[in-house]
Amino acid sequence: MPQARNGDTPLQGEQLLRVSAIATGGALGTLARYGVDRALAGPALGFPWSTLVVNMAGSFLLGAAVTVMVERWSPTRFARPFVAIGFCGGFTTFSTMVVEAAQRGQHGRVGLATLYLAVSLVAGLLAAAAGIGLARGRLLPAGPEESFPDPDDVGMLGDRPPAAPSARPGHAGDHPVGDR
Amino acid sequence: MIIAGLVMAGALGAVLRYVVDRTVQRRSRSTFPLGILVVNLSGSLVLGVLAGSAAHHGVSAAWLTVAGTGLVGAYTTFSTFTFDTVHLLESREWAPSAVNMVVSLGAGLGAAALGLALGSLT
Repeated sequence: MPQARNGDTPLQGEQLLRVSAIATGGALGTLARYGVDRALAGPALGFPWSTLVVNMAGSFLLGAAVTVMVERWSPTRFARPFVAIGFCGGFTTFSTMVVEAAQRGQHGRVGLATLYLAVSLVAGLLAAAAGIGLARGRLLPAGPEESFPDPDDVGMLGDRPPAAPSARPGHAGDHPVGDR
Repeated sequence: MIIAGLVMAGALGAVLRYVVDRTVQRRSRSTFPLGILVVNLSGSLVLGVLAGSAAHHGVSAAWLTVAGTGLVGAYTTFSTFTFDTVHLLESREWAPSAVNMVVSLGAGLGAAALGLALGSLT
């Protein structure tokens, strides 16, 4: 995978590799979600624990992983498409959550549906914030850190400054080539 | 069989999300995560239709798993939604973060309910 490293690589090849990383991560994330779903399957129209667990875990992982990769260190330029857009994006799910809530509402369990959405939102935000905070505070202590290669030395990340203010994990969007 | 279907559907769903998000976000010229909002709302409608027709017309469980859990489940995402919202809150962009939360959940629930109703009709 990591054969293309520079901006002068033809866009086609670069894009193809990035899409492959997203597809691989998405497939693995989907399988992982399916596995959790099978393991935690509860009664029909009960509280959807498995989706909640998946979404919390994925929010935490995405917060931690993207913060590490954007603000300090990324092994390759395909790590973010693979981990963030692919795995975490495919692992967590929004549509299942709202359909589960709508189904419970339609069967008269409005309170349960409301509780489920409220807990998902609040705990999801807290999980993402915890992942971001953990990455900044503990995994990435201020100052030089031996266990994390300095991106300027490694030369894999190009010239990006260490702290990018707005990291947009799932959006490879705005940069045609240099998305990080 | 289901595993193979899930692998392909999950890969396709994630790539589809990337393409839609990128296309929408490029045109919006804003920091508001409109691309993921479009992805999540459209996916919620589609999954509602699938679940509604499965409940009323006996769609096979394997098909529902691959198309619903696999394709649409991977297409939509929760983690990017929470991450973006935390970043908006961190940047003190109160109004955009509130809009993102309220519209995502409110319209997402509405899209799912609409989909369930449509699916039970067709």
